[in-house]
Amino acid sequence: MLLCMNRQRNPRGVDRSAEVVRLDSVRKTYGRGGGTVEALAGVTIGFRSGSLTAVMGPSGSGKSTFLHCAAGLDRPTSGSIVFDGEEITGLGEVALTRLRRERIGFIFQSFNLLPALTVLQNVTLPMKLGGREPDPGFVAEVIARVGLRDRVDHRPSELSGGQQQRVAIARALVTQPAVIFGDEPTGALDTRTAMEVLTLLREAVEEAGQTVVMVTHDPVAASYADRVVFLADGRLVGEIANPTAEAVAERLTHLGAWDERPRRQAPSRAGGGY
Amino acid sequence: MWSLALSTLRFRRSAFLAGFVAVLLGAAIITACGALMETGIRLDVPPKRLAAATVVVGGDQVYTLPKADPADEEEDLQWGTLPERVRLDAGLAGTVAKVPGVAAAIPDLSFPALLVGYAGPVSGHPWASAELAPYGLREGAAPAAEGDVVLDAETARRSGKKTGDQIEITVRGVIGTYRVTGIATAPAAGDGSAAGPEPAVFFGAADAERLSGLAGKADAIGVIAAPGVGAEELRARIDAALRGKNTVTLIGDDRGLAEFPAALTSSENLIVLAAVFGAMGIMVAMFVVASTLGLSVQQRQREMALLRAIGTTPGQVRRMVIGEAMAVSTLATLAGIVPGFLLGGWLFDRLVAAGVVPEVVVFRQGLLPVLVGAGVSLLTAFTAALVTARRAAATKPTEALAESALQPYRRPGPGRWIPAVICFVGGLSLAGVTVFIMSGPLTSSTAGPAVLVWALGLALLAPALTKALTELLGRPLLSLSGTPGYLALLNARARTTRMSAAVLPVMLATGMATANLYMQTTQVSATERAYTESLRADAVVTSATGGLAPGLLAKVRELPEVGQGGATELVTSTGYVEKPHDGWQREEGWPIQGVTAEGVARTIALTPSEGSFGDLRGKTVALEADHARAIGGGVGIGDTVTVRLGDRSAVDLKVVALFETRTGSEKFLVPADLLAPHTTAGLAPQILVRAADGVGADALMAALGRLAEGQEGVVVADRDALTATHAEQQRTQAWVNYLLVGMVLAYTAISMVNTQVMATARRRREFGLQRLTGSTRAQVMRMMALEAGLVAGIGILLGTVASLISLVPFSIAVDDTPFPSGPVWIYLAVVAFATLLTVAATLAPTWLATRSRPAEAAAAAE
Repeated sequence: MLLCMNRQRNPRGVDRSAEVVRLDSVRKTYGRGGGTVEALAGVTIGFRSGSLTAVMGPSGSGKSTFLHCAAGLDRPTSGSIVFDGEEITGLGEVALTRLRRERIGFIFQSFNLLPALTVLQNVTLPMKLGGREPDPGFVAEVIARVGLRDRVDHRPSELSGGQQQRVAIARALVTQPAVIFGDEPTGALDTRTAMEVLTLLREAVEEAGQTVVMVTHDPVAASYADRVVFLADGRLVGEIANPTAEAVAERLTHLGAWDERPRRQAPSRAGGGY
Repeated sequence: MWSLALSTLRFRRSAFLAGFVAVLLGAAIITACGALMETGIRLDVPPKRLAAATVVVGGDQVYTLPKADPADEEEDLQWGTLPERVRLDAGLAGTVAKVPGVAAAIPDLSFPALLVGYAGPVSGHPWASAELAPYGLREGAAPAAEGDVVLDAETARRSGKKTGDQIEITVRGVIGTYRVTGIATAPAAGDGSAAGPEPAVFFGAADAERLSGLAGKADAIGVIAAPGVGAEELRARIDAALRGKNTVTLIGDDRGLAEFPAALTSSENLIVLAAVFGAMGIMVAMFVVASTLGLSVQQRQREMALLRAIGTTPGQVRRMVIGEAMAVSTLATLAGIVPGFLLGGWLFDRLVAAGVVPEVVVFRQGLLPVLVGAGVSLLTAFTAALVTARRAAATKPTEALAESALQPYRRPGPGRWIPAVICFVGGLSLAGVTVFIMSGPLTSSTAGPAVLVWALGLALLAPALTKALTELLGRPLLSLSGTPGYLALLNARARTTRMSAAVLPVMLATGMATANLYMQTTQVSATERAYTESLRADAVVTSATGGLAPGLLAKVRELPEVGQGGATELVTSTGYVEKPHDGWQREEGWPIQGVTAEGVARTIALTPSEGSFGDLRGKTVALEADHARAIGGGVGIGDTVTVRLGDRSAVDLKVVALFETRTGSEKFLVPADLLAPHTTAGLAPQILVRAADGVGADALMAALGRLAEGQEGVVVADRDALTATHAEQQRTQAWVNYLLVGMVLAYTAISMVNTQVMATARRRREFGLQRLTGSTRAQVMRMMALEAGLVAGIGILLGTVASLISLVPFSIAVDDTPFPSGPVWIYLAVVAFATLLTVAATLAPTWLATRSRPAEAAAAAE
């Protein structure tokens, strides 16, 4: 497999070693005065093109805020975010929206399809919003790739959870975005369906050179990634390349406050009379 | 965005039903009001007796009020409608006859007559004018000598007379015996209206002049065109010939105005009614459409956030929401036009039945009011959509990722505070205008909208007010009702925004109902009291023919039961102060009462503060003291004012007395024999009688009854009968207002139910979850009943506050007290009705939503 790790260009000309998204000292605080909460306390990280990255961390670690900022859904309080070579922290609402529409794909935990639209309409919506006429051949190909060729005219309510998530993936893929952001994309799915969805994402990375960044708290899901980065208390606290589920799970137990538990408890529990 | 909007509409048909109904009803009301307004503006009165005249020349009933400074071109001109028939000089017929293209110019006269043995009004005319209908002689001959009359066929049939018979006719209180020389028939009414000409009796020229007392005068001149001369052309020529003579030259469906000048005032009535209720309809529609749209957008908050996240610009979201709203509104407006058509016609019929509009006016509903109505309805919906869309576009894309569907409460920012304050100030200034400027029947036109303006202000602050009132009203609720109440209160606290959307229609309905209903009761009671207070007479002698014989007053005064000072003629009309300038004068002019100097003191409930009513003889006037100070630099006893009377004649009157009365009841007192000739009837229509000291009411009535006996058309009524008749008239007038208010209220109530059903039906999942955690269905219902009660309570409280801004100033203006009068049960009924509707509209959908198994409901998509 020549694709792996080498400096190589995929068929669409993506330089697999260039960083598509770069965050530099990004801070995000909520509230004012005494009640200030620092959700991100200076995060610096880059995501290489054609990679699948998992962002992990306990609840309240700033995962969601991180995703919102990186994806242009929210503005950081300070710091810089360079997206595909463009500084986006100063962009206005409309410019940010256009950026999301043209260069970012989204997959949410709760699928978030428009109930009024059919599979086909949901998939082509972002392009229609941008005033572009979707290429029917390409759309059909994407829908076929996620395995929904027979369902194009169904409404979301007629589909299973896994199928709905595949519609969401097709919707994200069809614009050929620079990055797809996933917010717990398998959070609402059973393990078999979750595996199918992750495989789909993995294929998009391998075969189409797609860049994917997903927030998850499932070590198995994270093991599909090229790299896992860990957040705790709004800071990056480590990363694992080519992770296994076990390594991720092990690492998770030593994050943030979990890591500050008094050490002496561990032996006393481990040694409990056996 | 258009196709997205349409897909959403098709998918969420039921969610848009509320908006659809709201716009449909709004469009119907607006279209109906548009038709009433068109009818008022066009004021088509097809001629009956003058139908054969190509052109009709009549007196100009419109009077231009004198300006404060005649040289000031900036000052707006004001016009009033003169209440008495402005008659023409009969000699003008000669002038008109000389105009090229005129075949004949025939002066017309009408005067009321009474045929012995035939009840009902008949009008008398000179035979020459019969040609204008045209009447044709069916048998016999035209009246040639004095004492000859021709009856129309209907009158002859009903009175059982035929050619050659003798007939007794009373005109102006004088009875005479005439000979029927012929029977005439009128052509069938060609305008499609049911009514033909009024029953008529034709006299010879000399008899007509003598009987009418109008020698040398004409009501109108009917012009018959020479063959081949068009009406428009002829009108222009006649106009030119009569320039400066205060005449109007009428053609087409306007010709009837010369026959029925009373129809003129109905024009203004119709326009004002249509404008007031149309505007009310528009404002309510805007409210209702905005609140239903707002609710539907709120319920799709997550969807909006998702759209924003995947790359929909705020502008696109706005366009989508507006697109949805306009698609629904367009369909609803189109669907509303047909019921609007029917509603307009139905309302017009009711107005005619109540006597607000004379039946000679024809209902006209052209394309224009429909187009304008549809346009206004769409514009209303558009404005409402714009407000909603702005909010939808402000949705943060990150909300799509949030797990909770709760919307955080946001303190109202300056975007809400500032317009709210403007609304409150606007309401206060309307109130100020009501108290200090308005009087008479138009008072409600500034008092009425005040409630809406305040309601708008309160609506802008609704989330904040709802939050505060929830705390205030919620505590007692909590202490009374245990767990369901606790949950209801938690729900209300957590979803202030949703709650306030439900409160709005309740507030609007309560406010509108309370304000408008009590404005009516206050008006009626104030008028009735004023009438009863001003009525000092024990009995009234009236005439069925519009005028009492001149000698009758003397006969009444000769009765020992009455005495010389116990009776006065009463003539009522309207006049304008011409000189010096009257700063208080308005378009409707001043009421003038013509009285008999000797009888005023005992029969009229006014006391002079200066001078004496006994001096009201010849060309004199008594004025209200404050009003007198406002005329010119102030006029006093001995000064002269020039007054323009109801028939356009100007008289110089010397001020002989001043009196004081309530604000809004200012009037002039003048001698009856001065005023009577300047009224349409030409005679006093009433004599007020007070019993002499020590004479009982029965004795007085008996004496008057004996006097009236044998006098055709003279009716004697006692005080109770008078008040009853007056109250009955008041009630008829009020009924029309109740009808229109009721229409707007029904609209508001339907919308209220709509909103409530819509808000509740969406909570199926929440109910399911609640039951999964152990609530019984009954507990859910009880919780929702309490929540609905809270919504109703807050809405009623706010609505009552809003209604006060209308009611208090209105009561001060018409009744001199800040307290509106009327039965308490109206308010209680309004409160009960609002509560009942809210609770029922909440519980029915709750019951339906909790019918399925809780687990199913909980799993259902929001």
